[in-house]
Amino acid sequence: MSPRASWAIMRHEFRVMLSDPSTVIFVVLIPLLMVAIMKELFATALRAQGYESANGSEFGIPAMAVAFAAFGVGYAGFTFFRDHGWGTWDRLRATPVSSVDIMVGKVVPNVMITVVQLLLLFGLGGPLFGLVVTGSWLALIVLILVLAVSLSAFGMLVTSVARTMNQLNAVGSVGGMGLALLGGAWVPVETMPGWAQAIAPAMPTYWAMEGFRKVILESGGLDAVLVPSLVMLGFGVLFTVLSAWRFRFEETKVYYG
Amino acid sequence: MLHIEGLRKSYGEQQALLGVDLDVSEGEIVALLGPNGAGKTTLVSIVAGLRKADGGVVEVGGVDALSRSREVRRMLGLAPQDTGLYPVVSVRQNLRLFGELSGVRRSALRQRVDEVAQALAITDLLDRQAGKLSGGQKRRVHTAIAFMHRPRLLMLDEATTGADVETRGHILDLVQRLAEQGSAVLYSTHYLAEISSLPATVAILDRGRVIARGGVAELVSAHAEPVVELAFHGDPPVLADLAAERVDGDRLRVRAPDPAALLVAVLPTLPPGSLAGVEIVRPDLESVYLALTGRRYQEADAAGAREPADEGGGAGVSAS
Ligand SMILES: Nc1ncnc2c1ncn2[C@@H]1O[C@H](COP(=O)(O)OP(=O)(O)OP(=O)(O)O)[C@@H](O)[C@H]1O
Ligand SMILES: [Mg+2]
Repeated sequence: MSPRASWAIMRHEFRVMLSDPSTVIFVVLIPLLMVAIMKELFATALRAQGYESANGSEFGIPAMAVAFAAFGVGYAGFTFFRDHGWGTWDRLRATPVSSVDIMVGKVVPNVMITVVQLLLLFGLGGPLFGLVVTGSWLALIVLILVLAVSLSAFGMLVTSVARTMNQLNAVGSVGGMGLALLGGAWVPVETMPGWAQAIAPAMPTYWAMEGFRKVILESGGLDAVLVPSLVMLGFGVLFTVLSAWRFRFEETKVYYG
Repeated sequence: MLHIEGLRKSYGEQQALLGVDLDVSEGEIVALLGPNGAGKTTLVSIVAGLRKADGGVVEVGGVDALSRSREVRRMLGLAPQDTGLYPVVSVRQNLRLFGELSGVRRSALRQRVDEVAQALAITDLLDRQAGKLSGGQKRRVHTAIAFMHRPRLLMLDEATTGADVETRGHILDLVQRLAEQGSAVLYSTHYLAEISSLPATVAILDRGRVIARGGVAELVSAHAEPVVELAFHGDPPVLADLAAERVDGDRLRVRAPDPAALLVAVLPTLPPGSLAGVEIVRPDLESVYLALTGRRYQEADAAGAREPADEGGGAGVSAS
């Protein structure tokens, strides 16, 4: 592994991303719109759970943040398919960089973009919707980091099995949405049917929501997010190992069709 | 510099390389010729570590390319057949990225970008978005990338396809300069004519095998003879004792190691007034290809594009 090569690829990936910032803007604006629209609904649900003074953003912001971050797992894979479409994948592979350098160079920017997206949403939650974080911001940031890592790793896994862009879109975006839905990021877990509640903990998103609830509503600190963070990190490691095992660098991915 | 022995590769049922042997020395330019589907791209892809070989030996600078690909890729520059550029960033960024990944030091990067850009006449394009260039301009940038780190083994896969005369000239010049500095060059092309403007030797790949290897003059004299073409008014006469082939209805082609002697012998035997014209066709690489495969280069190309399993024969001079 060569940090210099990964770093060069990372800088390049950012340059490519910034050449078209529309998606980044999209994944921040739409969740804010969703919170604005569903805030009252969420407030009712929270008050029913005993959070008397809740205004809805305490669930709405983390929920939409997680949902849209999960929705975006396809972007992690997109950077690979794009290179196949541009003919640059083989060019990258013909340079002396290792496959790990390429992976790190491509995935880390995705993690960072996800982190920025999440931070923006939580940051704007206060001024726009009166979100009050009763616990530790540091704990919140730890959750954001491990969530971004586990979702990007999930994106890698999807990329490793998808051969066409359509498959990536289907499994990535729709699968990501399922991940968020089942993890309790669209509606609170408590309001879901029993079977759904039973499988929710198998989703990394569930643990993110669990951690955010403790920090935002129950004054949680670092100790409170320890378990959720470790579980998410575990998911991240699992997804990474699986995708490393499954990823075929010489496979030709189909960008169109 | 490049040593290939018994290299085999198939894609499922489709056999691409059936035991390729090829050596390229330092400072040598080898033109890799062969019709569509001959296996040229498969060959360079395996050397560059992009495809896995089924068997055989590939060494670059004495290093086993099949097991120590990364080490080999440090020595190697490849411009693949399909143009590959990041379209949303500038030409300069493309050159810098691949230069840096290929090991050009960052302090030397700017100067190297300028040098390569100048050699390929893309200096004016450096700050344009790569995706907004014309096809031929993209081709120049695409090819330029392979030169960034002055590779010891340069492989260009049909670099001049779609390039205008000027671009082709720039590319050939740069290839020659790199070879003069001691690099080995493997240069695949469909333009037989451009090989004569390079101090190159030739390897002809056909259906997964190298069927001829050597200097242009050497191959031509070994495998092909001049041909005399006689055109007639109306039906050509029958020439006694000569294996003549009738082409285009009213023409005869005759193989002739010594065209002058042939003409002296044949002309007096022709019916008066029947001869419309005489042409002496000097052998070239095209004739070598024809002699070796029984197919014309261009026709083989067209056939290869349609159906690789077209078994020899068909067009061509009748065996003599
Ligand atoms: N990815 C692939 N999957 C299956 N078969 C392939 C693949 N790539 C090449 N082939 C087959 O292998 C053979 C050699 O192909 P290759 O691309 O190496 O030829 P080439 O000499 O580069 O041809 P061209 O002049 O058209 O570029 C062909 O029969 C081709 O159909
Ligand atoms: Mg080819």
